[in-house]
Amino acid sequence: MAHILLVEDSPEVSLSVSEILASAGHTTVEAASGKEAIKKLRGAQFDAIVSDIWMPEMDGIELLKEIRGSGNNIPVVVISGGAPNAPLTYTAPLAATFGANVVVYKPFEKAELLKALETVLAD
Amino acid sequence: MTVAPVSSMRSQISEFDRLSAHAHLEAMPTPAVVLDGAGMLVAHNSSAQELLQSEVTAGVGHPVGGLFRVMAERANRTDGVEKPASFEQAIGQVWYHVSAYPVWTSLEGPPLQIIIAEDITRRKRAEFEIRESEARLEEATRIAQLGTYKVYWDTEKVQWSPHMYVIHGLSPDSFKHTPEKYREIIHPEDRELFERYGQMQSQGKALHGAEYRIVRKGTTRWLRLDGRVLFDVKGEPYASFGTCQDVTESKQREQELKNLLRRNAILYEALDASPIGVAVVTTDSIRPEVFYINAEFERLTGYKTSSLAKRSINALRPKDGGGEWDGVMLALQMSDGGSFELSCARSDGTNLLAQLQVAPVRDLPGREATVFVLNLRDITIDRQRAEALLQSQKMEALGQLSGGVAHEINNLLQPVLALSDLGQDIADTDPVKVRKYFEVISSSGRKARDVVRQVLTFARRDVAQLAAYPIGTLVSDALHLLHSGLPPGIKLEYEANASDAQAMVNPTQVSQVVLNLVKNAADAMNGEGMVMVQLGLVDLEQGAADALTLAPGRWIKLQVADSGCGMDAYTLSRVFEPFFTTKEAGKGTGLGLSVVYSIVTGWGGALKLESEVDQGTTAVIYLPAALVVAP
Repeated sequence: MAHILLVEDSPEVSLSVSEILASAGHTTVEAASGKEAIKKLRGAQFDAIVSDIWMPEMDGIELLKEIRGSGNNIPVVVISGGAPNAPLTYTAPLAATFGANVVVYKPFEKAELLKALETVLAD
Repeated sequence: MTVAPVSSMRSQISEFDRLSAHAHLEAMPTPAVVLDGAGMLVAHNSSAQELLQSEVTAGVGHPVGGLFRVMAERANRTDGVEKPASFEQAIGQVWYHVSAYPVWTSLEGPPLQIIIAEDITRRKRAEFEIRESEARLEEATRIAQLGTYKVYWDTEKVQWSPHMYVIHGLSPDSFKHTPEKYREIIHPEDRELFERYGQMQSQGKALHGAEYRIVRKGTTRWLRLDGRVLFDVKGEPYASFGTCQDVTESKQREQELKNLLRRNAILYEALDASPIGVAVVTTDSIRPEVFYINAEFERLTGYKTSSLAKRSINALRPKDGGGEWDGVMLALQMSDGGSFELSCARSDGTNLLAQLQVAPVRDLPGREATVFVLNLRDITIDRQRAEALLQSQKMEALGQLSGGVAHEINNLLQPVLALSDLGQDIADTDPVKVRKYFEVISSSGRKARDVVRQVLTFARRDVAQLAAYPIGTLVSDALHLLHSGLPPGIKLEYEANASDAQAMVNPTQVSQVVLNLVKNAADAMNGEGMVMVQLGLVDLEQGAADALTLAPGRWIKLQVADSGCGMDAYTLSRVFEPFFTTKEAGKGTGLGLSVVYSIVTGWGGALKLESEVDQGTTAVIYLPAALVVAP
């Protein structure tokens, strides 16, 4: 049972991810952009962050830079719609460079995300 | 025959002798007189009658005048009464050979003189003519710079005309002719040749001539010898004579001509080796005539030089259409150059898609040209290649898009996968939630379908049919496909002020144009900055329209601006060239802007780039408006 900050601009994706997390008994706070996520991080304690990369205002990479820049070591699971071999899109190496603990590629199934989350929470 | 009277005969001449002498005298075909020792006329024949009259001779028994007297006097003066004497004398137009013969009729006293005057006018004239002709020959050889020579084979004696010495640069006084000495003058390489020629002549083999070199005062001269062999009565060659000429200058001209011919041959060969069809056309006559075509031109057109030469270049104009040829004709008429894409009629009746370049050949700059060089190139393959390039560029663009497409689809598949899975777990317990899941799944499915359709539209290889399309929607669709493919630091803004405007375009091509321009803009900013896309209407006035080579009036203006590194004037002048790129290897093909340019001009629109180093670049496209829906 963990308290998760879910950062995702697509309402449909956000819904599906929060439902997965809820099914495992986790509680979720949603943010539609990196900027919103920063605000919400200030107001509450979270066990982990699940974040998309491409978002308006402040994207996932910017968000990671901000979090790690302020010395926060909170586990971050990046969920990416990009293909690993597509050069112009956000890729795992990029996210990993800026401090993501793990990258899960969309579309993922319930078990995939929950397993990744379990791993980062155990660390 | 008149028998001249013989009076006052000396007693010593018997009647028989008298008659015999008389008969002899009369039988002579030439005028003859007999004088006594005192120079008095004793007798004459009838032939002498006329001469005696003209010489004012009174008659027999009187002294003779004129010619005969001169003879008589000469005979006396030389006291050569014992010897016959003769001389030549002209009386008027007639030449006489006058001979005097002493005849003794007794042992005492002076002898009689028989004087015979032979008309030698004809011989004299012949002699004169020979002298004249010799003089003319001498003059002719002098003018022709001909030397003449004669060689006697038995003694090796050589006779040279004065000009022979001039030709050889020798002095008749100092040069003593021997075969050895002459051999020294001959160029070492030609000595053997000259000797062989001499041998042939001495053996009586008449050769036409020989050319050999001599060294004259340190310089090499070419001589030509034309000899004839002279044979004696036994048929043996005894001498050779002929002419000698310095042919150095004509040899040089001959060599120059050979060089020129060789140069021409090389040029022709080079032209025939050219992979481009070359024709030379002259416009001296009323119509432009073909003067020459090279092998490639023959291959391309199917015509041979022989069949096309002297014909009008119009022979290559197709019977149907061929309107582009008007431009060619005009260029020829105006002494102008130009490049034309046209159909060229081949000899077999088929047409060739070709590029014809016309270049005037001017003697002086600005002078009117009457000779033109035409280059003909088969562009069938070029066209195919250009189409293939466009297609491959489109595939490249598709590749670039695939990242964005994958992102879209993946995001849409995410709720489908997750919610259908979760929904199964709660199907019995929470039907309200399940219904909501279905709504999201359904909407995601529809969105995914749209994305796939867009991609298919883009990838379809359709002929660029132009029709009226809502340009605002086309641009926003293209940007939508593109935006997630851009680097994180690139912000994309779209401002549409004429979203209802209809443009005469091809939707696929609109995607290509937007994609290329935005991608170029993003690349110019090193991952950080803003790309501003604006769509609006503009009314172009005459001046502004002329500058863009558009018609004045209403146009749709699509503008893509970046805040990137910009371009210098050199780069700006070349950006529309295919494969010109400033990007690192592997980062771009250099096709983008050239494709944009060809698409936009294909629509009848215009593309203008404004750029300054470090000030960013703005690409402005003017699209033909189809219909503007009033707001």
